[in-house]
Amino acid sequence: MSHPVLTIEHLRVDFPEVVAVNDLSLIVEAGDVCGLIGPNGAGKTTTMRAVSGLQECTRGSVKVDGYELAREPEELKRRLGFMPDFCPVYDQLTATEFLDHFARAYDVPDREKRIEGCLELTWLTEKRDALCEELSRGMKQRLVLAKTLLPDPQVLLLDEPASGLDPLGRIELRKLLLHLRGLGKTVLISSHILTELSGFCNKAAIMERGKLVMSGTIAELGQKTGRRQMSVKWRNADDQALQILKGAGVKNLETAGQGATFEFDGDADALDGLLKTLVVEGVRVTEWRGSGDDLEQIFLQSGAKELM
Amino acid sequence: MNITENPIFLTQKRLTHRTGVLAAVLIAALIGLSLLSGLIAYLADPKALTFRSPQEAGKVFYGWVIGVEILVLILGGFSKISKVLADDRKAGLWDSNRLTPLKPAAIVAGYWLGSALREIYMGAVLAGIGLVIVVLAKLPVMLWLGTQILILSTTLFFGLLASLAGMAFQRPQSGIILLLPLFFLQTFSFAFPKFTIINFLLPIYGIVNLFQDPNQAANDYNDFRNWSDWPGIFALPVPPILLSLGLQFVMGLFLWRVTVRKTANPFQPLLLRWEAIAIFALLVVVQQGLIWGIWHGRFPTVFASDHKFYERESLLPIVHGGTILVGVLILALASPLPERVRVEALRTGLGNLRLVFSRSAVSLALALIAVAAAASLPHFIFSFGHSGKAWALAVGNLFVFFLMFSLLLEYCRLRFKRRALGFVALWLFVLCVLPFILAGVFSSQALAKLSFLAPGTVALAGSGSDDLKYLYLVGWTFIHFCVVVLLFVAWRRQWKLLLATPSPLAPAR
Repeated sequence: MSHPVLTIEHLRVDFPEVVAVNDLSLIVEAGDVCGLIGPNGAGKTTTMRAVSGLQECTRGSVKVDGYELAREPEELKRRLGFMPDFCPVYDQLTATEFLDHFARAYDVPDREKRIEGCLELTWLTEKRDALCEELSRGMKQRLVLAKTLLPDPQVLLLDEPASGLDPLGRIELRKLLLHLRGLGKTVLISSHILTELSGFCNKAAIMERGKLVMSGTIAELGQKTGRRQMSVKWRNADDQALQILKGAGVKNLETAGQGATFEFDGDADALDGLLKTLVVEGVRVTEWRGSGDDLEQIFLQSGAKELM
Repeated sequence: MNITENPIFLTQKRLTHRTGVLAAVLIAALIGLSLLSGLIAYLADPKALTFRSPQEAGKVFYGWVIGVEILVLILGGFSKISKVLADDRKAGLWDSNRLTPLKPAAIVAGYWLGSALREIYMGAVLAGIGLVIVVLAKLPVMLWLGTQILILSTTLFFGLLASLAGMAFQRPQSGIILLLPLFFLQTFSFAFPKFTIINFLLPIYGIVNLFQDPNQAANDYNDFRNWSDWPGIFALPVPPILLSLGLQFVMGLFLWRVTVRKTANPFQPLLLRWEAIAIFALLVVVQQGLIWGIWHGRFPTVFASDHKFYERESLLPIVHGGTILVGVLILALASPLPERVRVEALRTGLGNLRLVFSRSAVSLALALIAVAAAASLPHFIFSFGHSGKAWALAVGNLFVFFLMFSLLLEYCRLRFKRRALGFVALWLFVLCVLPFILAGVFSSQALAKLSFLAPGTVALAGSGSDDLKYLYLVGWTFIHFCVVVLLFVAWRRQWKLLLATPSPLAPAR
């Protein structure tokens, strides 16, 4: 059974002329991959920095695995890995030396083996002796991720990990993040590029103007934001299928070849019931896709603005 | 953590060696060997150079060696450490290190001792060659040992100062701002080598003292120019090396605390209030102690007969001016940013002027005034009936000056925000410097007394007991006090406005 690993309670961060984060509470459970999404200036990076202890909070508390930032910062730091939205590397060190620096700082046991493991995990083994300044932006990003993974943290905070990467770099990073998810890491990842997060996060938290607009599993958010955009395809029984859909009270029903698109107001159970009805009535459903689970859709319907 | 296992130290060492140390070490060696060869040439043929003895030649060549050493270690080391830290901050590496479980002290130690390794290698080479020069010239080894200890302690002291500069300033070259007051005060110190604290904080007196010939101590033309004697703290002789090491050690402890605290939490104010008071007390008490032996508590009666009139006339006003300068610097460093006080008010729910007063530099100014008054009182202790008025005026002057500065600084920060520094400078110019300029333009001494600096310095400069003069000075001090009251009213209003302002949310998108 999953338990809360990262708990943020009533977090508030004040900047000289603005409240950057205002009364933010969020719980991320073990194994969750939670996307922190919002427009530029919503307070995502400030939240990440406050959680990692780099930004002073006005109020509120942050706990990682029960250790509170204000009381036991060193214990918390051992359990938390933070990757900022840029690549802080020592240009004149090799990739191995860079990781060695942080392995010593974290007092990682069996240092050399762990460094090799992290280089392999981030596909940088071949670049182990290259100077950091010789690495591409994507490689530097992966090296910083390797550094973040060195102490095997329970929680990973990834702030705009794909910013500044070219398409190939993004694809590589996405693969890597999927791999991390497979390893069961708890991740809080921020981005304003929602396609980056789609299919990767099981939870999301939407921020706007320093406040948490909504949070929950993707399905819950889809439900909260209201109508789902659905598409269905079948091999037979056009009329029968359309009748069933009309009978279920779908809106904006449009046929498209052997299939249809429609909007559905009901919850996930009602949607499951609709699919069951179609199948039971003999409609051979070949595709059943809901864009209500899509982060972009959820974000747009949440009311938050300025998506980039 | 052992420094040789400190990851930041090891990385800095790696980085230093990667960019090469051989050329730098060879340059140091060439400079040192050139000076050594000059000595050898003199020893081989004493007529070739115009020295009176091998010892004199040795002192000259060794003096050059330590001159270069000071340049490399202290100034080179300072700029290197502050640059490395500022660059690492800019690149996000300082934050990356802060995110590790490394203790803040280990992070500071790594940068402090590891960033300027190239300069340390160069210094070590020069020190080695210096030892050869001292031995060849048959100079006492204590000269080498004493000067090297002083250079080492000053290097460490300036290294900490550089660490602080690297943490506090965005641009590495801005760190030099921390050195400017030292160099500014240094210009006055050569007139009174034994009587100014700056000659001991920077160990100039200690180094020059070691070069003095004890047999020729009496050849200085008066006591004020004497570099041979031991200085006295309240007439108690103290070896200059010990005084320098002690001062640097205590000040270094404070600097260490500040840098470690700044690493643990960069959002905290630079100086805690008790630290600000302790640093000010240390500097002021030692400085007053150094000059106590001139009057032995009977100001203005001078005991040493060879003191020239203008020297004894100017010393106490200069110390008074120095006290104001140090106080202003400390007030500026300890003064909290208004926004921090507002955030604290939000955090504690105590958004009132009592909280403001307890955090503000104004209450700190009152403490500094008390310390300065107590430290200067011993000069008047046995002649209070005669010259207590001068002391009271000097204290009154400190009172209005420190309050004026702290109120002005916070008012400008509250009122003008990012443009505050310019307005503080403008008003300080108007209140302190402009009266002197107008006095020159209109040939009127009365105008000069309008300056906030004037009453204290004029009162302490006079050895007579001209009641009319004191009456005038009291009048000017009262006018200054009225300015302070006006500033207080404006300051109070601005704080109330700030605390009453509702917290703005992030801008609408």
